[in-house]
Amino acid sequence: MTTLIGEGLQPSEFAVTAARAVADCAALGPREQAKHLANDGLLGVIASEEVGGLNLPLAFAVPVVAAASSGLLSFPLMEVLLLSRALKEALPRAAGAVVSGDMLATIAWQGSVSAEREGESIVLDGCVARAAGVRDADTLLVRLNTGGAVLMPTDSEGVVIEDAAGLDLTVPDHAVRLQGVAVPAASVVPENAWSVLCSDANVLRAAAILGSAETCLAMAQEHASTRRQFGRALSYNQALRHSLARQKLALEGIRHALTRSVGDEAGALERDAVFLAAAAYGCAISEGALQVHGGMGFTWDVPVHRHLRRVRALQAQGNASEVLAGLGRRTVAAIAPASDIAVRA
Amino acid sequence: MTGIDTAQPATATAGELSGEAYRVAIRRWLRANLPASFRSDSAAFASPSLQQSIEWEAALYRAGLAGITWPKAYGGHGRTLREHLIANQEIGALAMPESVNSIGKELAGPIILAVGTEEQKHRFLPAILEMRDIWCQGFSEPEAGSDLAGLRTRATRDGDIWRITGQKIWTSGAYRAQRCLVLARTGPLEDRHRGLAMFAVRLDAKGVRVRPIKSIDDRESFCEVFFDDVEVLQSDALGAPDEGWNAAIRVLEIERATNRMYRSWRFENELRHLIAACKSDPALAQLVANPRYEAKIGEVVVDIEVLKAHVETAVDALANGDKIGARGSLAKLHWSEAHQRFAALALELLSQASLPQLPAVQIARRRFEAIYLQARAETIYAGTTEIQLGIIADRILQLSKGK
Repeated sequence: MTTLIGEGLQPSEFAVTAARAVADCAALGPREQAKHLANDGLLGVIASEEVGGLNLPLAFAVPVVAAASSGLLSFPLMEVLLLSRALKEALPRAAGAVVSGDMLATIAWQGSVSAEREGESIVLDGCVARAAGVRDADTLLVRLNTGGAVLMPTDSEGVVIEDAAGLDLTVPDHAVRLQGVAVPAASVVPENAWSVLCSDANVLRAAAILGSAETCLAMAQEHASTRRQFGRALSYNQALRHSLARQKLALEGIRHALTRSVGDEAGALERDAVFLAAAAYGCAISEGALQVHGGMGFTWDVPVHRHLRRVRALQAQGNASEVLAGLGRRTVAAIAPASDIAVRA
Repeated sequence: MTGIDTAQPATATAGELSGEAYRVAIRRWLRANLPASFRSDSAAFASPSLQQSIEWEAALYRAGLAGITWPKAYGGHGRTLREHLIANQEIGALAMPESVNSIGKELAGPIILAVGTEEQKHRFLPAILEMRDIWCQGFSEPEAGSDLAGLRTRATRDGDIWRITGQKIWTSGAYRAQRCLVLARTGPLEDRHRGLAMFAVRLDAKGVRVRPIKSIDDRESFCEVFFDDVEVLQSDALGAPDEGWNAAIRVLEIERATNRMYRSWRFENELRHLIAACKSDPALAQLVANPRYEAKIGEVVVDIEVLKAHVETAVDALANGDKIGARGSLAKLHWSEAHQRFAALALELLSQASLPQLPAVQIARRRFEAIYLQARAETIYAGTTEIQLGIIADRILQLSKGK
């Protein structure tokens, strides 16, 4: 809400609330988590006031998603935040239910399905995947191969949710098969809302990676300072000091690129760049943190691997390789051959 | 003859222009005044002579594009750091020669502003901006490269005069400079970081000898400088011993974060030039459309965007009155390594050009081979990569030394 910004509200102020709420959620099931997060106003941070949200800019979702990732929140918070905004025009009631925590919703990030119109319904067929936390969700947003997306109840006839695949243990993702699933035609979210959602998702994935990477580096730093070998703390060794310094450089790169990606002049370039930087640096930081822990890093008990799994899952979820090649392709396409430049100069 | 068109308005930024209007005025001025022969992406490029560079940089100053943030009282333009950023974005967007007086403008000048007397500020600063005095930096020595505490050049007080004896090395541009910012020891070597003092030494003073060193790019841009009992007036001492150097360290921290602020935008100019050259060549046009190279180009774009983010964050922090501390090391480490990666990619691509080589490819090869070689120095000067990593570990992460 503009008045909040007018009063000088800063995105960073949400970090503390979010961290506390995430800690409180540790022992709760998904439905209680949704209610708890909703009560703290966190599910509607970027949703419009008409659907019960705070109508704040995307920058305010960044610390919330980072805190969720840092605390290994087992709830698809990024998806819920994005849906709270994306559903507003086409499905305002669903958006409201998402913001209030009454409806658990998520998104299938990979694949698309075909849609056949049958009267007031459309019938969906196909297979989608990378649906975070869909086992517990009431509804799932599925990409249509004709453009746009559709919000579909997960208990519809013809929906088969497969066992969790992928590395992420925190918010497990699933493949979902749809065979003749009929949903109301009014459940379709238009293409422009889907593309805004995907663009916002690049920023929030980077925020999630920042939260995990920050935690990994803090753990590595702590371990290097307290673990003693050869009569000294590990951090005495220059090889480890330099490795941690490189992780710090990478971490600040993600943080600064995030600030830039939500600035007034930011567009698709800045959003692609922040996701790609976060994906590359986030892997380096979490893998590096694991290495600093030595054998301990390879154990189940040290949570570095959970963050590493999450970062790798987010990298795949955002399809980093294709985004990277696409960024290069657009850069090349936008530049005229040298002879033309000479004429222009 | 520089080709600088004096019929063009001498001032890019007259009046009270700000924001977008300020940017547009600078862009127009640069495009109207930068000679094609100065642009390394142009067929007309010919490395400018010293005199041409001096005239060009004096014209930049008159146009409001040097000393941007320096106080008007000392010849500066009194603008904000954010305006400095805008100007640098526009300067970076064009392939322009590097300043022959960057030590004066980005090192000596800010140090004099911080620790100089009023008389020194009036005497030294306008001369730097008007390009009457070119400065070089006399910090490194044969026995004190990264470790300035090992400095041996000695300054001895003799009434109103200091006598300086010693040797400096890696002194870029000493052969063309009028003044050298000399760091010297006033006490015994055991004092390490204590007792260091700074002086503005005239290079035509008796007892100064300059010997150029040929560098890997076939140029003689850096030098050894020998000081044999050189007399320096007290009025050319910058701050008292200790005090001057301590203040200089704070200035250097800011400089590391803000110097050559145009760098990421110049980097972007280099990428545009590389792609434009590749697209004009049949074999290279195919290569840059190959997914493998698309991804590599994507990585360069990400590197540039991250660098911009580091720079803009530093400017915001400084504009908000925050201390920059050791954070300048982050940007320095990132750009120096990113630029080397890019230069290697440029060589790799251009080496696969069609035969016979088109002029556009030859122009690009000339530029990027020079950039590749010069970029080897970027992870060495202004604090090597290893020094930056050490600074980040010590001062940002504050890692225990492990006793």
